[in-house]
Amino acid sequence: MTEKEKKPVDTGQIRRLLDAKKGKMKRLLSHCAHCSICAESCFLYMSHDGDPQYMPSYKVINSLGRLYRKKGKVDRDFLEGIKSIVWRNCVLCRRCYCPIGIDIPSMIAFTRSICRSQGVYPLFDETTAKESWL
Amino acid sequence: MYDFVRGPLLWVAFIVFFGGLVFQIFQFFAVTKKKDPVFLPAGGKGLEKPSTESTAQVFEFLRGTIFGTHPVMTLVTFLFHICLFVAPLFLLAHSILFYESWNVSTWTFSESTTNILTLIFLACCAFFLLRRLFIRKVRAITTAYDYLVLAITIAPFLSGYMAYHQWFDYKTVLIAHILAGEVMLIVIPFTKLGHMLFFFLYRFLIGSEYSFGQGTRTW
Repeated sequence: MTEKEKKPVDTGQIRRLLDAKKGKMKRLLSHCAHCSICAESCFLYMSHDGDPQYMPSYKVINSLGRLYRKKGKVDRDFLEGIKSIVWRNCVLCRRCYCPIGIDIPSMIAFTRSICRSQGVYPLFDETTAKESWL
Repeated sequence: MYDFVRGPLLWVAFIVFFGGLVFQIFQFFAVTKKKDPVFLPAGGKGLEKPSTESTAQVFEFLRGTIFGTHPVMTLVTFLFHICLFVAPLFLLAHSILFYESWNVSTWTFSESTTNILTLIFLACCAFFLLRRLFIRKVRAITTAYDYLVLAITIAPFLSGYMAYHQWFDYKTVLIAHILAGEVMLIVIPFTKLGHMLFFFLYRFLIGSEYSFGQGTRTW
């Protein structure tokens, strides 16, 4: 286990990051009509036989949405959980289409920044990474 | 009771609705700023239409939009949103109320036309409800809140339909109808129904690949 993984999560820092962008992010989250029209615009959703967990809206609701709901009071396990959503289930290709105009990629990118601030990010180098990303 | 819901409570609903929308517009402009456009696709946007076009070209264009991916949902949602505005705004009974209250005479549809528009609206709502209940991708992100907001949207139309046809006790149904409408107006600026306003702000003013026109604002 690396030093970063042992360190407790700085919930104050997460809260500050969340607050700094809440004008945009909370607004976008609250205006999602949960219509699921974005689903087919995601190539990962299409290539996984319509598995809902690859749906753009599902990804933001279950990562950034949960971070805001918990007001940043999360632990490392929680961040490890959303790590796979924002890095593995989304590649930030920016192709997702929302009829209302919600900027989904910026929300995923923001969630990645929050995870990264706590040392939670994938290591693609197989010699140092403990998990497989394939 | 009737006087109360038609009088003070209606004003509360109007003030919260219009005040809320104005507040949201100010907030939006406070958190966004104007910038030079970053995304300028070479040769204009891919889906730009030629000025004169045949029906086939129109369909070819539509195939590249969400109509191509979700034809049924697109048609239903178009009908739903058109009826949502047209049915109550051009209803004869509402027009009479406008005239009685403010001496303003508005254009109306015939009662039978509005009746059909309401039925279309309710059918669209049923479609949304069934979609939420039975389609996996929709169900995956559905919570009780989504059903509640759908119920708030349906209530004024269903109760209005019931009042027009004088089902059950007319006076009670009418009060329920007015209350349902007021609840809907009050919640619009503060819930996901806010997309009524934010659809235009997001898609016309925020610059992005999918924006309509030349959005130049950024967060």
